[in-house]
Amino acid sequence: MIFGDKKTGVIVTGATGNQGAFHIALMNEYAKSVGGSGVVAGVTPGKAGQEVHGVPVYNSIRDAMKEHDAGASVLFVPAFAAGDSIMESASAGLSLVVAITEHIPVHDTMKAISYAKMNDCDVIGPNCPGLLSPGEIKMGIMPVQLFKRGHIGVISRSGTLTYEIVDELTRAGLGQSTVVGIGGDPVIGQTFTDVLARFSEDRETKAVVIIGEVGGALEEEGAKSAEIPIVAYIAGISAPPEKRMGHAGAIIEGGEGDARSKIDRLKAMGVPVASRPSEVPRLIHNLI
Amino acid sequence: MKILEHEAKKVLEESGITIPQSVLIRSPDELATHLGSLPDKLVLKAQVDVGGRGKAGGILMAEKANAMVTAKDLFSREIKNIPVKEVLVEERLDIVHEYYLSIAVDRSTKHVLILFADAGGVEIEKVAKENPDAVRRASLPLIMHDVPQFMVRDLLGIAPKELGPVINQLYHVFQKKDALLAEINPLVTTPKGVVAADAKLIVDDNALKRQGITVNRDLSEREREAERFGFSYVELDGTIGVIGNGAGLTMSTLDLIEYYGGRAANFLDVGGGAEQERVMNAVRLVASVPSVKAIVVNLLGGITRCDEVAKGIISAGVTQPVIVRLAGTNEAEGRGLLAEKGYQMPDTMEQVVKAAVEMTR
Repeated sequence: MIFGDKKTGVIVTGATGNQGAFHIALMNEYAKSVGGSGVVAGVTPGKAGQEVHGVPVYNSIRDAMKEHDAGASVLFVPAFAAGDSIMESASAGLSLVVAITEHIPVHDTMKAISYAKMNDCDVIGPNCPGLLSPGEIKMGIMPVQLFKRGHIGVISRSGTLTYEIVDELTRAGLGQSTVVGIGGDPVIGQTFTDVLARFSEDRETKAVVIIGEVGGALEEEGAKSAEIPIVAYIAGISAPPEKRMGHAGAIIEGGEGDARSKIDRLKAMGVPVASRPSEVPRLIHNLI
Repeated sequence: MKILEHEAKKVLEESGITIPQSVLIRSPDELATHLGSLPDKLVLKAQVDVGGRGKAGGILMAEKANAMVTAKDLFSREIKNIPVKEVLVEERLDIVHEYYLSIAVDRSTKHVLILFADAGGVEIEKVAKENPDAVRRASLPLIMHDVPQFMVRDLLGIAPKELGPVINQLYHVFQKKDALLAEINPLVTTPKGVVAADAKLIVDDNALKRQGITVNRDLSEREREAERFGFSYVELDGTIGVIGNGAGLTMSTLDLIEYYGGRAANFLDVGGGAEQERVMNAVRLVASVPSVKAIVVNLLGGITRCDEVAKGIISAGVTQPVIVRLAGTNEAEGRGLLAEKGYQMPDTMEQVVKAAVEMTR
């Protein structure tokens, strides 16, 4: 497993908000079905003493950690407070923060990631669906019914597109070891490179699908570093330059980061690239 | 959001960077009242947000004597189809040498990237390709208050030391303004000192509110309307309207349309929790584009309620055919509602796209 397993206790920040409360229930439903620890505590400043779906709420992450054994936090706090919440998690001694929140100002993200790094805390996201290791642990918002335990790792900058491709994999009999949504923002904590390094040391994982999109060069950097077989799909071949395609990070700037040149560079490195999501399972079968 | 040159220059000036003496005018007549205080040699710059403004005729030289005529000429022009509404009238600088300075967010390092080049006034990408040694770079974490002096020395190389302070001044602008990019190109030396001859500033769209910016000027009318509903929306040039949930899936739907030989008219990411009213507004917005002949709705997700989506599509009541791919909770109910009204509902994203492409051929 990478990032966590059944024993990992999770703290949800922004626990009393709509999204936080809704996903506490879903994460714990999943934890119950696999016999995992699930969400052990929630945090919302000023709401200590409340309960959300049976989960106790504390004023701070430090307070929660005095009472519970936790290894990670999942963030549902509003954008303006999210950078702060990442730093609070790192400061309290958690080694992993999964930041679901969208629309965080990029300067806040950059500062929070720097601070987290100084405290040996990894950040997944922001603007991501979190991660799921089928049969082990869910930290985030992924719809579990599409997933099946197996040996394919998935790393993606997107949410629903990940579900589409996971669905294709599952239908083709290719289960997943861990699926990680690394986020659609220009600056993100864990990159393809970071997660690929973990997958290459994970005994459960035999091959990895990387799902990228226009903007930046993280896909190519990841592929260059990969020590495990990979297959890629890149979205945005029809995206016009200088237009933000939904994700803050999905933009072709200064003539760089377009899908065509990404695909060409990946192919030049010997990486099989799917032209459609439905092609991914066949490319994986060719590899293993 | 891109900040116009005259606004960006004002921001630089507030941080202590010298800018050319200038006035902003909204008509040639306004220039008349300012001429007395301006020097003899002038340059008139259209305040339009387009690349290659100079080549497109948006920058004109003038002498004080003929400045009114030149201003009238410039105001009558369209620069890459954008009418000129504001003109920045500046003193023409006595340039000794041009340099390039920029500060940007670097995705790979997650830090700030500072670029300095001995050659300014031209595209930095070109300089980097043709003369890589002329471009120097430094990377620093945004948690640093200032650019350390050793970095300033490394960046400048043999360039005059008097350029040094501008690097920190621009870094402070970058910090204060939530910038994705702060650029001075060219940064020039003159007999009177160092001057920012041009300025470019891009502010993070996610920070507009705390920067006190209420309207994102980069968006078109329809894009702004979409933003009010909480949609991400981009206009393209084809005939198929596209609605999806999630940016990646929607982009992928666009690509698939192209793969099968069609062309999308737009991109609308309806976001999470697509309830009836949201879906209705999305379908109506996409259908309001005159070139849209068919609409593809591609919604996938565990928590999307298909009955809500179906009600939204039906209540939109648009004239174009809507082809739907639905997967999520209450799927059977949603499909039932749509089937009653005769909607096409293929199972997969590929089938939906194929059907739409055939319909618009």
